[in-house]
Amino acid sequence: MRNVSLLFLGLVLAASSVQADTTLLNVSYDVTREFYKDYNAAFIRHWKQQSGETLTVNQSHGGSSKQARSVADGLEADVITMNQANDIDILATHGKLIPADWAKRLPNNSAPYTSTIVFLVRRGNPRAIKDWDDLVKPGVSVVIPNPKTSGNGRYSYLAAWGYVTKKGGTEQKAREFVTKLFANVPVFDGGGRAATTTFAQRNIGDALLTFESEVQLIQKEFADSQVEVVYPSQSILAEAPVSIVDKVVDKRGTRKQAQAYLDYLYSDEGQEIAAKHHFRPRSEKVLNRYAASFKPLHLFTVDEVFGGWTRLQKVHFDDGGIYDQILLKQ
Amino acid sequence: MSAAATLPLQIPPTAHKLRSTATGEPAWVRWTLIALALVFLALFLFLPLATVFYEALRKGTGVYLNALREEDALSAIRLTLIAAAISVPANLVFGIAAAWAIAKFEFRGKSILITLIDLPFAVSPVISGLIYVLLFGAQGWFGSWLQAHDLRIIFAVPGIVLATVFVTFPFVARELIPLMQAQGNDEEEAAIVLGASGWQTLWRVTLPNAKWGLLYGVILCNARAMGEFGAVSVVSGHIRGMTNTLPLHVEILYNEYNFAAAFAVASLLALLALITLGLKSLVEWRAGAQADTDLPQERPAS
Amino acid sequence: MSISVHHIAKRFGSFVALDDVSLTFPSGELVALLGPSGCGKTTLLRLIAGLESPDGGSVSFDGDDATRRGVRERQVGFVFQHYALFKHMTVLENIAFGLRVRPRASRPAEAEIRRKVHELLQLVQLDWLAERYPAQLSGGQRQRIALARALAVEPKVLLLDEPFGALDAKVRKELRRWLRRLHDELHITSIFVTHDQEEALEVADRVVLMNRGRVEQVGTPQEVVEEPATPFVADFLDLHDHGPAWLIQAKIRHRGFELRAIDQELQTA
Repeated sequence: MRNVSLLFLGLVLAASSVQADTTLLNVSYDVTREFYKDYNAAFIRHWKQQSGETLTVNQSHGGSSKQARSVADGLEADVITMNQANDIDILATHGKLIPADWAKRLPNNSAPYTSTIVFLVRRGNPRAIKDWDDLVKPGVSVVIPNPKTSGNGRYSYLAAWGYVTKKGGTEQKAREFVTKLFANVPVFDGGGRAATTTFAQRNIGDALLTFESEVQLIQKEFADSQVEVVYPSQSILAEAPVSIVDKVVDKRGTRKQAQAYLDYLYSDEGQEIAAKHHFRPRSEKVLNRYAASFKPLHLFTVDEVFGGWTRLQKVHFDDGGIYDQILLKQ
Repeated sequence: MSAAATLPLQIPPTAHKLRSTATGEPAWVRWTLIALALVFLALFLFLPLATVFYEALRKGTGVYLNALREEDALSAIRLTLIAAAISVPANLVFGIAAAWAIAKFEFRGKSILITLIDLPFAVSPVISGLIYVLLFGAQGWFGSWLQAHDLRIIFAVPGIVLATVFVTFPFVARELIPLMQAQGNDEEEAAIVLGASGWQTLWRVTLPNAKWGLLYGVILCNARAMGEFGAVSVVSGHIRGMTNTLPLHVEILYNEYNFAAAFAVASLLALLALITLGLKSLVEWRAGAQADTDLPQERPAS
Repeated sequence: MSISVHHIAKRFGSFVALDDVSLTFPSGELVALLGPSGCGKTTLLRLIAGLESPDGGSVSFDGDDATRRGVRERQVGFVFQHYALFKHMTVLENIAFGLRVRPRASRPAEAEIRRKVHELLQLVQLDWLAERYPAQLSGGQRQRIALARALAVEPKVLLLDEPFGALDAKVRKELRRWLRRLHDELHITSIFVTHDQEEALEVADRVVLMNRGRVEQVGTPQEVVEEPATPFVADFLDLHDHGPAWLIQAKIRHRGFELRAIDQELQTA
């Protein structure tokens, strides 16, 4: 028993003395692993050149809301990189780890790269799905994960809504449109990953709504399932926000490194790596270089259509919000 | 000797015959039921298991082995082994102590202790994990103290070990309590009257008698310790190469569309399950063989 | 060694197991504690062994107060109703147990232990069973091994709790005669618990009759049979005159003669 408790104590000490040389922890969501693997290597090289310091960057990946919760509960993230602003807002409201205006600290709403919602259809597009209007036709089956629990689902909902209002439709029209769209959803999976399985492996649905950045991954993994991508005429700009976690970096003395880590995402090299991993870069220069992978389409932002995440959350997704009302109708 | 020894062997066939005539189901009912059970087994057990191995090896053994040799996978294996290596012995000691106390003594609060032992079975593992977050998280009871002393429990190895210990602690005790209760105190009393100390009695009498139950409990405890997902997921923080256990690693690989690797790592867990089942049957068989020879024989042997 | 108990009381919850019991067991005698189940006889035996502690009163060994003495210090040999042999040990190891658990200083050498075990096995006439496991023995054999195990530690007193209770009638009779002979050889103060009056009267030097936690009578078998002190004793030993017995019908044939009896009152001598 004594040995066991010694071992245990050893582990506590080991865990707390891991940072002999400087480490950063980047807490991120599910599918950014490959991207940050490359980016971390590049940044470590860059930082070594610039400051002479050897850095280690650790990664944590998981469901985005859960990851944000973990940071609020004490997971010592130096930086947090999410795909929705409200997952970072939690850190400001819950535990005051960052200031409320965190999004204003870096260019482009603190989102160095973006993505958008596109459609995946069966090879040859047998239902001739070209744009959002084709998804609400009767008899078309669309796979969308639950908007309350997944980024994919949420952005898909917002994209459909924005599609109507951007074309001059009223809120009422948008509501009817989204109601029709969700009436065509056969199952609500909990996350983007499960929805992909539903569509590609279980062969359910005529179309899957997913992030452009995940299309490549899906096509790679489901090479034999024969799917192809369809770009609608317009869609939503899914901004992937990042922030340093002030309370953590100040405690660990890593603010300088963490700040540089995020700044470097906006550099040419950072943007280039993002583009290679199918995230739309903010830099026009890099975007042009990768024009072949990023088909131009009209993109609208959450802010211009919905007036920001806080309002959006309250109106659409809080309990009893428009989303709940839409589901209730079915 | 021979007459007495074959006696118990002669009983089962007659008992079996009696039973089948007593229930008196026609053959087709029995065969239908058996077939139904087999189809269910095949559908819900063998098929998924086979799928795991099929998917794992689909892209070739090279991909399979690379997925297992990858640094993050190795560290997940290491962490899983550490968690099991601590929680199994800890629960072994706890299980023996608790079972001993419950089976052999009368004391106030005994029923509360029994209920508490069952607690991890009763609550969802996710809740078990959240309990630790509530205790040791930044907003938790000990959160500020821990942060002030720069000690990390959750989102680090100690939290994973704690959560694993918590979800696995009923296994050994639950196996031992009924066994020890059934055995009663006779042999222990005999040992004490013969001059053995409490410690000697435990080592020489109680534990050898309970060894199969103990082993069984340890095997189950280990399987759960290595396979636990929910509780560990909540307290892990999912830091690659540091706080991911095997099941968490599988989930993340899967969510990253990295199928082959996810199934490769999952196949390790499936293998663990198969080994566990094998060991479990072996232990049951051995314990069963021993129980058979324990049948009282009242007749003189020679 | 003589044993005495003074004003012993013991309850289990609201159940009174022993109610102010005082007794003396003279050195070298074989005494039976006899009574129906629940009369407190086993509890008394366990109190003497130290397996239970009394709520009141005292136990003394050779005049020394032993009430607070632990089980291990009392140096008693105890034979359990269900043998309580160690299932995972051979007969040899069972008997050697008491010697092996001694502190190193007083533990005999291995050769000495083996010699002693075989001596005891010869005493209980089961020398050829040394390597067997308890499960491979008959009930009677188990009980004899249990006795050998108890004797291995050279106890000052031998306590037997319904030693033959779990055996069938024939083995029981054999074993109790054997126990008597063994006691005549060893002369160790022995107390055995039984609910079988025949067994008590046949084997014991002295019988203690108990009922509801109290002693009803103490005496030699002859004394308790001839002069039952209380109605309970007479009742339990079945000494009552139950009135005349009747022969309903009988027919005896012998070498061509036939004797018939119908409705006769039988006379005892």
